[in-house]
Amino acid sequence: MEKEELWQAVLAQIQLNISSANFATWFKNTSILFCKEGQVLVSVPNSFAKEWLENKYGKTIFKILYNLDKEIKEVKYAIGKSEQKAQKASYCPPSEAGQLEFEEFQVNKETNLNPKYTFEKFIVGPFNELAHAASWAVSKKPGLVYNPLFIYGGVGLGKTHLLQSIGNAVLKDFPQKKVKYISAEKFIAGVVSSIKNQSMESFKIKYREIDLLILDDVQFLAGKEKTQEEFFHTFNALYEKNKQIVLSSDRPPKAIPALAERLRSRFEGGMTGDIGYPDYETRVAILKAKSQEKEISFSEDVLDYIANNIQKNIRELEGALNRLVAYQKINNQKPDIDLAKALLKNLFLSPNKTINPKKIIQAVVEFYDLKEKDIISSSRKKEIVKPRQVAMYLLREEMKSSYPFIGRRLGGKDHTTAIHACEKITREMEKNETLGDEISLIKQRIYSA
Amino acid sequence: MKFIILKNKLKDGINTIERISGKSLTLPILNNILISVEKNFLNLTSTDLEVGINWWALVKTEEEGKIAIPNKILSSFINYLPEKPVTVETDNLSLKIECENYQTIIKGTNPDDFPIIPQINKNESIFLKSALFCQSLSQVVDIAGYFSTKPEISGIYFLFQKDMLTMAATDSFRLGEKKIFLKPPIENLSKNYSFILPQKAAREIINIFGEKEGDITFYFSPNQVLFEASLPEQPSHPEVQLISRLIEGEYPSYQEIIPKKYETKVILPKNDLINQIKAASLFGGKINEVKIKIDPKKNQVDFSSQNPELGEHQSFLTGKIEGAACEISFNHKFLLDGLLNISPSQEKNSEVILELVNSEKPGVIKPQGDDSYLYLIMPIKT
Repeated sequence: MEKEELWQAVLAQIQLNISSANFATWFKNTSILFCKEGQVLVSVPNSFAKEWLENKYGKTIFKILYNLDKEIKEVKYAIGKSEQKAQKASYCPPSEAGQLEFEEFQVNKETNLNPKYTFEKFIVGPFNELAHAASWAVSKKPGLVYNPLFIYGGVGLGKTHLLQSIGNAVLKDFPQKKVKYISAEKFIAGVVSSIKNQSMESFKIKYREIDLLILDDVQFLAGKEKTQEEFFHTFNALYEKNKQIVLSSDRPPKAIPALAERLRSRFEGGMTGDIGYPDYETRVAILKAKSQEKEISFSEDVLDYIANNIQKNIRELEGALNRLVAYQKINNQKPDIDLAKALLKNLFLSPNKTINPKKIIQAVVEFYDLKEKDIISSSRKKEIVKPRQVAMYLLREEMKSSYPFIGRRLGGKDHTTAIHACEKITREMEKNETLGDEISLIKQRIYSA
Repeated sequence: MKFIILKNKLKDGINTIERISGKSLTLPILNNILISVEKNFLNLTSTDLEVGINWWALVKTEEEGKIAIPNKILSSFINYLPEKPVTVETDNLSLKIECENYQTIIKGTNPDDFPIIPQINKNESIFLKSALFCQSLSQVVDIAGYFSTKPEISGIYFLFQKDMLTMAATDSFRLGEKKIFLKPPIENLSKNYSFILPQKAAREIINIFGEKEGDITFYFSPNQVLFEASLPEQPSHPEVQLISRLIEGEYPSYQEIIPKKYETKVILPKNDLINQIKAASLFGGKINEVKIKIDPKKNQVDFSSQNPELGEHQSFLTGKIEGAACEISFNHKFLLDGLLNISPSQEKNSEVILELVNSEKPGVIKPQGDDSYLYLIMPIKT
C-alpha cells in the first residue's frame, strides 16, 4: 500500500474515535514521510501535535497501522515543514502614497528576483518591441530559442524590468527550474570573495547548477580579467547543457571595452536586442498604466505635459508622476495643468538636465574607457584620435559650439582639426553602423546621466 | 487533588499564564488552564498551541492530582477573594475553592484532554538579567509587522553570539535593532544561535519576565525556544517556563540595508525633537507626513507639516549639523516610534543622532553615545 493511502486509512478510522475539533487540531497537515522495514515516520506540523499524537493517540495509530500492514513494528513522529509556504502569494499590501519600503525585502533571496517586475506591467512600443519579443520567447522556451539573449539600452529604459520579467515568468511556468538573477557587480564580488576564501569550487558548482542565469550590466565586467575568465567557463558549462543565459548592458557587446574576445563573440552568438528611447505615444501609455496602478487618474493634458518634457528616461517619468500623486494625496485635489507645471518645474530644469561640454567629454571618455587628459593631449594614437573626433562631433551637433571653441576645449587644437573631425565622423557614420550605434549610446549617457 | 496556598500567590500564578489562553473557538479545551499538584509544587499551565506557559509555586499539598478549569471565570473570581490562605480541592470534575467565608465550586473538564506542553532537551543555555533583557526587547518588539506573504518579518529576530545578543524587528518601512553586550562574554558557546520569535510570544515574555529580579535562561532547539526563570526560594526549580514555536524561514539580511555612510548628520536634544515632531504630527494629514529641512549654514533643522483642512505648522530646532543640506519627509508615527523606543537615559538632556543620505534612502536614528540601539526609517517620497 502506498504511504499516502496508508495514512488516509489511518485518518479515516481515527475520525470515528475522536471529536471533530480534536481531529482538525491534531491531524491537520500530517502525513507519512516514509514507511520501510517496519518503521513508519509521521510528519506533524508542530511540537504540540507531536507530543499529542505520541502520547495520546500513539497506541491507536499504531494499532490501525498494524492492522493494515502486519510488517509495521514502530511508529515515529517528526516535525516537518509546515504547509504555509504553499500559500505564499506574490501579493504585497499596497502602501500609503509615497511611503518607501526597504526594497531588499521584496526580493527573493534564492533567485534575487523582485516580483514586481512582470511582463504584464511591461509596456511595449516600437522602441523595445524586438527586445520584448525575444525575452518573451526565451521565457516560454528557456534555453531553446535564443541563447544567449543579449539586451542593451540606456539608463532607465527598462532593461532590468525585462530581465527580471523573464526570470519571474520562467519561475511561474517552470517552478522546478533554478533561476538566478545577479548584477555583474555582485558576480565580481562573488568571484573576489571566493578567491579570498579559497572556495572557488563551491562558487563554480553553485553557478553551474542554474537553469536560467540572468546577468545584469555586464559592461562592468570590463577589465576584470579573472571574473571574465570565470564567467567564460560558467557560460560555456551552461551553454553546453542548453541552459538559458540572459545578459544586459548599456551598449552592444562590440562596444564594451576591455572584454575578452572569446566572451564578446559568445555574447553575440545568440540574439541581441536593443531598447531605444520611448516614443511619445508609449510615454503616455506608460504614464497611464502607472497612474492606473496607483489608482489615480490625471487629465490628458497633464500626462501630455509630462510626456513631452521627459523624453529619455522612463524612471524619471515615474518620478514626475509620483510627485503629482503625492500632491493629490496630501491636498485631496487633482493637479490641473498649471499646477502640474509649477510642481514639476524644477524637475525639468534641474541643473543636470542641461548639457555642457564637460559632460559630453566625460561621457565620451567614460564610454571609451579613457581619461580626460588622454583626449585633450596631443597624442595621435588611433585609439585616442577616434574618441577625440567623436567628442568634437558631439560638441558640434549637440551644443552647436563653434569650431574654434571645440578646438580650444580639446587641448588647443586648430579649428580646422575640429571641422575635419566632424566631417569625418558624419561620413563614417553613413558607412559604419556600429559607429552610429556607439554615438547614440553616448548620447543616451549624456542625457540620462 | 487538594492544596492550600495564599490568595496573592495563586493570583500571581493565574495572571502569569492566563493571557494566552481563552481565545480558541475550534478547540474549547484551550480556554482552560491546567491545575496540577505534584509533591510540594502547584503547577499551572496554559497554551494556545503556539506558546505554552508553565508556572510553579510551593504549596501545602494534601493530595496530588490535576484538573482543567475555564480560565475566564477562575481569573475573574480570584480577584474578589480576601487576602487569606485558600484551600483548593477537586471533587470529580469540579473545583472547590474555600477562603475564609467564601465557598465556591467551579465546573472543570477532564485534564487528560489538555494539550501536552512540549519539552526541550536542555543542552546549551544562555542566561541574562531578566529585567535588562525585557527592557531591551521592548525597544524593538512593536516594530514587527504582520504580512502573510512574509512570515519571516512578522517576528523578532534574535542572534546570540559570544559577546552579544542582537534583536531586530522590521515591518519593511522601518527597522529597529537592539544589542545587549554580554560582559563577560560567553566563552564556551558552541555556536551562534539565531531564531525568529513570533511577536505575540515576545510580548508575553515582556509581560511575564519584565518584573522578575533574577535571570532569564534561554534553551534552544530547532523548532522551539524555551525561556525560564527559577524560583527565588528554590533556584534549582523553575518558576516560569515559556516555550514558543519559532517562525520558519530565513530573516532578511538586514545589515545590507543599513547605510554605511551619511551625507548629513544632525545631533539634536531628544526631548525637544520629540516635542516638535508631536506638534507637527497634528497637521500631518492623511499620510502622516512631516517634512524635515536641514540647513547646515544656519545650524537649523526645520519641521513642517500641512493639512488642507486643519492648517499649517512650522517649527525649528538648532543643533550640531555636519555635511550637506537636506530635505526629507517621514511618517511622523514611524519617527516617534523610533525616538520613544530609545531607552530612557539618566541624563536629562540626552541627544539623538539623525544620519541621512538623501531623500529616498533610509535615515538612521541612534542615541548619542550609545551603540546598542539603532533605528532605520524609510522616508516618504515627495
